[in-house]
Amino acid sequence: MIYNDKLGDVMDLNALIKIIEKVGRIEIENITITADELIINIPSAPPVVIPQTPSIKEKLADEGIIEIKDVPELDWEPPIEKYPGYIREVQFGRSKEEGGRGKVVKIGGQRALYRFEEPQPNPPVVTFDIFDMPMPGLPKPVREFFQDVMEDPCEWAKKCVKEFGADMITIHHVSTDPKIKDTSPKEAAKLMEDLLQAVDVPFVIGGSGNPQKDPLVLEACAEAAEGDRCLLASANLELDYKKIVDAAMKYDHNVLAWSIMDPNMARDLNRKLIEAGLDPNKIVMDPTTCALGYGIEFSINAMVRLRLNGLKGDELVNMPMSSGTTNAIGAREAWMNNPEWGPREYRLPLWEITTGITMMMCGVDLFMMLNPISVKTLKEIGRTLTTKPGEVKLNTNNYEWIVAKA
Amino acid sequence: MAKKVSAMDIYKLLPKTNCKKCGQPSCMAFATKLLEKEATVDQCPILNTPKFEENKKKIIELVSPPVKEVWFGNDERKAVMGGDEVMHRYELAFFNPTPIGIDISDELSEEEIKNRAKEIENFVFERTGEQLKLDFIVIRNASGDVEKFKKAIEIVEKETKMPICIASLNPEIIKEALKVVKSKPMVYAATKDTLNDFIKAIKELKKENDVVLVLSSNNVKDLKNMAAKCLANGIEDLVLEPHTYPENIAETLDLNTMIRRSAIEREDKYLGFPILNLPINAYYYALNNECPISVFFEDKEVVAKMFEATIANTLMNRYADALIMHGTDIWELMPILTLRQCIYTDPRKPQAVEPGLYPIGNPDENSPVILTTNFSLTFYTVTGDFEKDNVTCWLLVMDTGGRAVDVSVAGGQYNGENAKKLIEETGIAEKVNHRIIILPALAAPARGDIEDKTGWTCVVGTRDSSQVGDFLRKNWDRILKEWREKNKAN
Repeated sequence: MIYNDKLGDVMDLNALIKIIEKVGRIEIENITITADELIINIPSAPPVVIPQTPSIKEKLADEGIIEIKDVPELDWEPPIEKYPGYIREVQFGRSKEEGGRGKVVKIGGQRALYRFEEPQPNPPVVTFDIFDMPMPGLPKPVREFFQDVMEDPCEWAKKCVKEFGADMITIHHVSTDPKIKDTSPKEAAKLMEDLLQAVDVPFVIGGSGNPQKDPLVLEACAEAAEGDRCLLASANLELDYKKIVDAAMKYDHNVLAWSIMDPNMARDLNRKLIEAGLDPNKIVMDPTTCALGYGIEFSINAMVRLRLNGLKGDELVNMPMSSGTTNAIGAREAWMNNPEWGPREYRLPLWEITTGITMMMCGVDLFMMLNPISVKTLKEIGRTLTTKPGEVKLNTNNYEWIVAKA
Repeated sequence: MAKKVSAMDIYKLLPKTNCKKCGQPSCMAFATKLLEKEATVDQCPILNTPKFEENKKKIIELVSPPVKEVWFGNDERKAVMGGDEVMHRYELAFFNPTPIGIDISDELSEEEIKNRAKEIENFVFERTGEQLKLDFIVIRNASGDVEKFKKAIEIVEKETKMPICIASLNPEIIKEALKVVKSKPMVYAATKDTLNDFIKAIKELKKENDVVLVLSSNNVKDLKNMAAKCLANGIEDLVLEPHTYPENIAETLDLNTMIRRSAIEREDKYLGFPILNLPINAYYYALNNECPISVFFEDKEVVAKMFEATIANTLMNRYADALIMHGTDIWELMPILTLRQCIYTDPRKPQAVEPGLYPIGNPDENSPVILTTNFSLTFYTVTGDFEKDNVTCWLLVMDTGGRAVDVSVAGGQYNGENAKKLIEETGIAEKVNHRIIILPALAAPARGDIEDKTGWTCVVGTRDSSQVGDFLRKNWDRILKEWREKNKAN
């Protein structure tokens, strides 16, 4: 403390510095210091120096302000869930040891939603759509791949397998429709036999969509493919599903349960199929795929809910899921020849890819598709989902784009 | 949902005067709307008074989403990210459609920068009555030169109203660039090693609240610690960027999902920020590497754009709150923008269009009258199909509260009373010289009721609107003739 007559009893150091700043210099005269002990407290900050140049003062002050507050290291654990339920595994085809033609494809079998929780057992599978008669109505970007084989479904199937690496083939017996050619179930069964000879991959067997005719066609084809664990497409409430269930049980096949975008309807249908005698491990659910832009959000909701409820332990909906991804190419943005939208040979596969990828992210295991470009892309992305974290060596420099040319 | 907040929790903090000034009939109704994110705190005039300051803060705390809503841009145009509360859209809704940014290199000439900026700003794809657009411009410091970077920023900000993101890993260069930026930019990106320098630069410029800082790491724990440090230093507008790996996108999907689940289900507030992903990495990857679809196209750029779009859509499905891309071709962006539009529709609200009379083609007094619903998916599918098939007709769109045909028939909204009202309001009787309505096959059960109430003759048409063209070509003339003969006799 400094005692001073003029400024009262006490004058602190800051006041003294202020005076010094104003006048530059102070001469102290005629003062007496009466003290046993003289204590001068100098505050540590700001540093008390008589300023010489203003810039230095500012710099020092700034450094004082911009101090970065550190925080203690925080912990983080990957948020892994335990699921009471599981997704059933469904097998297509039979191995030679089982007395089949060889190729076996499995879908489902998940015990978790994401691969970081638990490795995913089976990659998503793509099955190529082929037709039992030429389909002039197919959009050009698809037709051009198959123009040379459309007259012969066996050649068509072979091309899909050999050239485009098809895991499975879906044969649509469209000519059986009474309004188209009304081909008999017997003829469809004959074609089925030929197809089984032509390629060794498992089959999805589809009808024409005619509710009266389909059960008959599927039954005949199921018999022709006895023991081959095909997927009969499809059983739904608009047709005699009991006939299809019976054929599946009798000739050892799986059944596609098709319902309209409502998890409760899917559940009801499954229950009915099981009540009719079908083994629940032989059901694949198809809750309807609306094309991108034509209600895909309804499909997203239905599929996510079904997958979640399955994992939560609802045994009436814990079947693997299928998507009629081909629906996407019917979207006008995909097929329409409109120069304003750019070339449709790019648009069409991308529309199908986007629809498929979206369904894949919702948990779909089986994709029915048409365009070889889409199939290849979807298979590639699907394959990554079954890799284990860290298994694939990553070379991407995440920041290269910042300095990329052009 | 993470927080178990009830409307009652919010109601307790409201003035409870039921003054209705917020537009709701009661404070309890307002509380419910706040909870459902259909109202904002500012709509209550009493909450904005000093006396309720404390309560207002508490309510904001209660209703603020576990993923922070962060924006950048300017008064005229903002890019808003995050704000989400659920893992799956059916549980509530996803908010703030993913902003998409397109890059511009600072090595381009002034003319090229201007053109690309304009191209990005003017890009538009129209569907279901909505204009789908791009959202921001990413100016990247490809040159490594600070002057070029600053110049490019100035050109873009002068040329467009687009929000901007400035990209450089060098905190010194970012600091210099921030001095010329006029809007609130997104800054890409601080890494674990440079974070201190970025924080320092932002604090020196006193821009803690005027920038959005992107934190980049492929390690979630590091992202969390980086976010904690930023928050401690007053930088609260953050975006997390786990790395985008085009060669194994599952790695990025995992990172996105773990971050989002930590924020929402584990209530980890340090990870409660929007996620930025980089499909642009897929573009350059495909340009320089073999890619599954390379065999199909000779043009590498086509492959790159297709791959970029694929990766963008994959990520959009798994919590990407913002995307940086390179391609601007309409065919590439169409599916991405469409997917975004679909994912971010609110599942709680009926997707409805305006009811009324829509002439399709150039209908005249002899043209058919077709009755559909105002469910937007039905409407756009029907009009799409009609356009595709050159159908000419008068389309009556009935207010079924946005329900589809089968649903509204079952629910009773597709009925005679509503049809009568619609016929009267649209004056369709003066536009045609017949009294025939064609109903979709799914509406067959409502036929009797509609005939009774309207006095018009109903014809049950096809199950699907894609068959209508065929149906009319085969049947319309006959139907019209038969009706005329019958009514002449009467």
